[in-house]
Amino acid sequence: MAEEKAGRFPDPHEFQVPPELEGWEEMYPTHHLFSADRAEWEKQQFWYQDKIHAPDPLPPLDLIFQEAWQISLSQYTTRVFCIPPAQGIAQRLMGCYLYICAVAPPPPEIIQEKAGHFEKRVFYVFEHYDELWDKWLSKFKKLGNEMDAVNIPEELPKFVPEDKVIPAPTGYYVSYDIIAAFDTLVNQMFKGWQYHFEMLNLTYLAYLMFADVARKLFPGISESAIGKMVAGAYVSMFRPEEELCRLARLATSLRGAAEILKGANGVEEKISELNKTPDGRQWLEEYEKAKDPWFHVSCGSGWFHYEGSWITHPEIPFNYIKGYVERLERGETIERSLDNIEKQREAIVSEYRALIQTDEDRKSFDDAYKVIRTIYRYAEDHLFWVEHWFHTIWFKKIRQLGSLLAKNGMIESPSDIFMFNRYEIPELLTELSTWWALGEDIPHRGTYYKDKVKKRRKILDAARKWNPTPALGVPPEEVAEPFTIMLWGVTTDKVKEWLKGVDVSAGADMNEIKGFASSAGVAEGPARVLKLLKDIVDLKPGEILVCPSTNPSWAPVFTQIKAAVTDIGGLTSHAAIVCREYGVPSVTGTGISTSVIRTGDILRVDGDTGVVTIVKRAS
Amino acid sequence: MPYVLDLRELDKHSLPVVGGKNASLGEMIKAGIRVPPGFAVTTDAYIRFIDKAGIRDTLFQVLSDVNAGDVASLDGASGTLQRRIAETPLPSEIRDAIEEGYDRLCRECGVPETPVAVRSSATAEDLPTASFAGQQDTYLWIQGGARVTHHVQRCWASLFTSRAIAYRIRNQFPHEKVYISVGVQKMVNAKAAGVMFTLNPTDGDASKVVIEASWGLGETVVSGSVNPDRFVVDKVILEAGVKNISAKHIECVFDPKQGKVINAEVDPKRQCVCCLEDQEIKELVKIAKYIERHYGKPMDIEWAIDSDMAFPENVFIVQARPETVWSRKKTQSVIGAKSGYQLLMEQAMKRIKIPQ
Repeated sequence: MAEEKAGRFPDPHEFQVPPELEGWEEMYPTHHLFSADRAEWEKQQFWYQDKIHAPDPLPPLDLIFQEAWQISLSQYTTRVFCIPPAQGIAQRLMGCYLYICAVAPPPPEIIQEKAGHFEKRVFYVFEHYDELWDKWLSKFKKLGNEMDAVNIPEELPKFVPEDKVIPAPTGYYVSYDIIAAFDTLVNQMFKGWQYHFEMLNLTYLAYLMFADVARKLFPGISESAIGKMVAGAYVSMFRPEEELCRLARLATSLRGAAEILKGANGVEEKISELNKTPDGRQWLEEYEKAKDPWFHVSCGSGWFHYEGSWITHPEIPFNYIKGYVERLERGETIERSLDNIEKQREAIVSEYRALIQTDEDRKSFDDAYKVIRTIYRYAEDHLFWVEHWFHTIWFKKIRQLGSLLAKNGMIESPSDIFMFNRYEIPELLTELSTWWALGEDIPHRGTYYKDKVKKRRKILDAARKWNPTPALGVPPEEVAEPFTIMLWGVTTDKVKEWLKGVDVSAGADMNEIKGFASSAGVAEGPARVLKLLKDIVDLKPGEILVCPSTNPSWAPVFTQIKAAVTDIGGLTSHAAIVCREYGVPSVTGTGISTSVIRTGDILRVDGDTGVVTIVKRAS
Repeated sequence: MPYVLDLRELDKHSLPVVGGKNASLGEMIKAGIRVPPGFAVTTDAYIRFIDKAGIRDTLFQVLSDVNAGDVASLDGASGTLQRRIAETPLPSEIRDAIEEGYDRLCRECGVPETPVAVRSSATAEDLPTASFAGQQDTYLWIQGGARVTHHVQRCWASLFTSRAIAYRIRNQFPHEKVYISVGVQKMVNAKAAGVMFTLNPTDGDASKVVIEASWGLGETVVSGSVNPDRFVVDKVILEAGVKNISAKHIECVFDPKQGKVINAEVDPKRQCVCCLEDQEIKELVKIAKYIERHYGKPMDIEWAIDSDMAFPENVFIVQARPETVWSRKKTQSVIGAKSGYQLLMEQAMKRIKIPQ
């Protein structure tokens, strides 16, 4: 293989994916592919793999979230709140993996113009944040409930029911409903993602500002220290786990419930046993209450249909509850004291504050802190409502459509629907409607679609086995886009690490990997590499989790692992927040851990310095 | 005034009779900081010695003729005076007082012939803050009453090294007003030792404790004869953001064969091993913060970790003095008084350069 040119990654237009991936392009819309007509621009950009949103190859329909955030994130920066020198984040796909690039700053006159808008619009938001947040939450809940209420026919009736014809025809029927349903869901998804970024860009900007102030006052202050000053305790992200604790505690106070929940039976048997007694029914009632919204959490990040959620996989919350009941019976405390977390945070802030040497600096610190504390909750709360609650509803509705397609022979199984992108699905649904409308004994193209699904699944499997290059193109001279630095943690050092890791075969000799020291402490133990989020069931207590990125819905897992290591994740990535909250050492944003570390390797994770050492290789 | 005072009886007010070093140890013990037990031989013992032995006048007579710029004259006087002090027998009451003090220490430690460090602690009348740091001798791992008294006498003699004499002449300290006390302190059988600062000496950042550490006794670190391991620890959340591990090729340890401390080669395998455990680093930082709070100013601290005792009882402070470099500088605002909006606007306009 030819030597890589120093200081740059492969040219996206010359890059070859493995032959097993042949045909991957046809799964996706063309604007998401590198294209000859945009080659000149594309060659000059820096494209890095987005392991936060797409650590795995993208099933065609799951691309919708990426399409939606590309628009929404970018527009808030460029055209809504007008962060002066920043532009949007562009996306491309390569071999089923998502690559993103922060677009270079606009011309100076545009920056000037944006600065004027920024001042007026952004400061308004900070002044009215609490009221804006209330409005945000109520409109978002409304949107989610509307999505949940979209009518998706369970089947195609032989004849439409009489009440839809007499006394007056409704005028439109199931053939319209199925086409309209998908369009509505897509529109709602796009709207939800527009809401998602409403205050997020500003939150990240405020965080970067506060972090900068802290670093000027205390050179070398760690990210985890800054995170500890900023993070809140009463955030939605921790509610699912709190609900589990509450249900576990309730079970121990009710007759028989704890015994049933601790048993080896499956969820369905447990529910039917619980239903037999009044105490059991009381517990089930509370469980049902907790489910919406709090158990609408993805088992992974919320970005992939196959991750499932606590709704589709009730055995997950049931297992967690079982564990908590057992701990309660051993006399352990299972709840984290949120008051203590708040107090600890306040103590840390006042200790730093006391170290500031002048009154002027103290004023800046106080003001900066006030700004970030005003808005930071948004970063923590939006995540639950959008990626978890809203996406869980979406997946449920799409599966209902998939189920209708499968019942009528268009695809094999309901989840095959995710093998088609959002532009193709209307085609399938329109054919289904047509086929039904035409009458009896009409052929449809089910075989064609089923073959397509098979072929695409094969490509995605091959893509999963492939280790994609961390980046394409030329590293940039400067970055002005807040998400790039904060969320993806793209820095000079990171790019250098990636350049080192381009030749993955070199990884075999590496025994030290650097990343962000995102949660303090040092731990040593065996690695569990989870490239796929669903493999979390393999994880054993006392192992060190190594994964593309972690997620708050794994919350109960964090009491079992010794440490966490992620490929991607910057200053306040989901992983960093959760690990700090749980006191688990973590190193995030290593770029290459999942390709260099193997399950069973003995690792030393130093969350103070951001170094992961492979102490001993698994034999 | 007694000839010998237990360190526990001392505090900062004892400085005129026991010198800054000993007074500071007493002060720390009173504040509840773990300091190895010991006692101070007071300046009165020294004054009594030169009076009783009738050498007071001779000493200062010799010095009155010395020319600080003339090396030969300095060395000649120094040799004469040091010999004189070493050869003059100790008055019995002083000898008894020191030996009793040593016996008490041995009984307290439960170790016969407890190894001790014998350190000079000079003080100038009317000039309590004069710094004589590093000018007088220190003897490590001294065992037995006779050897202790012998080394106390050697410490006294060290008041008349050529360097010390020249320093006093240059700074116009009258020789007869500079006294010397000696500290006798149980040796820490140090697994690792070193120094720490309650601010970052590189940039004056008051939110950090910087620890320099090496294997064995702290002398290698203090003298700069090894590249120590270096830790920069955040005072608030106690994280070591920087851990620089160096190749520590020698360690200062007691050699039973030679009966003295030596700089021994460190096994190559151990050279690059971090000499402190995380819990030890955290404990040191906690102590450093406590000492800084107690004195109300940035401090420069020597410490040692005993290899025979259990954590955290094995972490000892052997010296603490005010930090002098950064404390003298005028503190300036780093940011200035800015509003949250100003700061936000500045952040929004920022671009982050990625050097190619």
